[in-house]
Amino acid sequence: MKTTQLLLAGLSLFIAGQALALPDGRALYIQNCNACHQFQGAGGIGLPLNAAKFRDYSDDYLFKTIRNGRPGRIMPAFQEMSDAQVKAIVTFLRKRTDTKPRAYDPSALAGDPTHGRKLFEKHCQRCHGADGQGRGEGTGVTLSRKRAFLVMPPAIANPGFQAAASDRLIQQVIRVGRPQSGMPSFARLGLKDQDTADLVAWIRKLGKRVAKRPRIAPDEPPSHVVESPYDFDTTVANVKQALVGANFRIFPDRYLEQGLTDEFSVNQRQIGIRFCNFNKLYDMLKIEPRLGVVLPCRITIMERANGKVLLVVPNLKVVASWFNNDQLLALWKRMEDTFNDIIDEVTL
Amino acid sequence: MRSHAIAVVLLALALLSGPAHADKMLMTRVPMKADIAIEYLKSAIEEYGYAVAHVQMCDSGMKGFGLESDVYRVVFFGKIDEVRRIVAKHPGFAAYLPLKIAVVAERGETVMSAVNPRTFDAYYPKDREMKIQFGRWRNDILDIFDEVYRAAGGKVARRLPSNTP
Repeated sequence: MKTTQLLLAGLSLFIAGQALALPDGRALYIQNCNACHQFQGAGGIGLPLNAAKFRDYSDDYLFKTIRNGRPGRIMPAFQEMSDAQVKAIVTFLRKRTDTKPRAYDPSALAGDPTHGRKLFEKHCQRCHGADGQGRGEGTGVTLSRKRAFLVMPPAIANPGFQAAASDRLIQQVIRVGRPQSGMPSFARLGLKDQDTADLVAWIRKLGKRVAKRPRIAPDEPPSHVVESPYDFDTTVANVKQALVGANFRIFPDRYLEQGLTDEFSVNQRQIGIRFCNFNKLYDMLKIEPRLGVVLPCRITIMERANGKVLLVVPNLKVVASWFNNDQLLALWKRMEDTFNDIIDEVTL
Repeated sequence: MRSHAIAVVLLALALLSGPAHADKMLMTRVPMKADIAIEYLKSAIEEYGYAVAHVQMCDSGMKGFGLESDVYRVVFFGKIDEVRRIVAKHPGFAAYLPLKIAVVAERGETVMSAVNPRTFDAYYPKDREMKIQFGRWRNDILDIFDEVYRAAGGKVARRLPSNTP
């Protein structure tokens, strides 16, 4: 009994210690943000996090941005973190950028969206897009591909941005601009406070027009397994023929187990036919630099112990959902249709 | 007394389930050139008991299409016994084997990404073995990333266990 009490007391002290210890913002940043935004905030897959921007942000904007992310724009929602952990990242970012939070009156601005729309069409949509979803391909400043913009113009209609940014924060950004990424100061261009309030009113309208993101059905399997009516060798030959017909370049065959065991133990009745269309691939890579995690395209053919020959292909609907990148979804759909045609042709 | 004990244990568990990679991707950036980072990555993979099956070069073929990264590779790795066991039971999972890590050079640094294996939890709700396997792979990949980060001179923070994908 005494031992149990002592153990509980010890455990309680440990818990109290954990609860009182402040989360380490730097460590959390390295774990969760550094890969995309880079340690100094230079950006990469993610947008730059620099002092010039942070001077205009409230801590509430940063908190909500981390918490809710940008649906469909790569930046994930960090829902699992505690409030204290998110705040620790914000504090770390403040320290690193040597900036102080800007406070904004949370009340909504009164603006005329009709006039705001005219101003938006004249000054903003060239970069932010007529629908406010941001022009250009991809996000961030990744240098691994040619870019139309130095920094991707933010999707200001995105529900994550709309929820995080108050009217007056948006107005402030419009006023001062983002000289480092090419956005001019609209105060310098002669726009008055009422003009910028009108612009904010139109940006809010754009936010309400954003269509709901497609959700994959809960019963979608992670891959498609199709039984071939042909024997193993004929199926392999058919797959290659169909891929060439669909303008894919085929890489040398690899057994599924190749490289994982010695060459004499490898199961030679499980083969991966790897293929690529570099043109299509580059189109996708421009908008999703992490695509390598599912490369190269592959159809696996395997002969089971019962003699059945199976074709296994990843379910591209499921794969596409991993990237939180809506630009990829449209291109991916075409790829999915091609995959389906190939499987149909092979198993005809 | 008993309810106090349960409450203490539950609270302890809640406090210990720390931050997770919120995304369906596991990623790291190491302050090291990619050609060196990839060598550290391969050794770390082997240290964790996996075999590096092969390294796919993606950059050479894509240069002509405008890829500007000097290094874009995919490292395939796995354990033969795991691959055989899983493919025998779930042939459809062969589409995702061996495991892979994409390696991209960025401004003298290296970004590594992998699909979070726990993303697959939802597809095998009744298979406890698969759930354990996905959790183990996830932890191994994060530890491998930490090894490479440490090799690059980075200080690795204590990673708390997580039950979130």
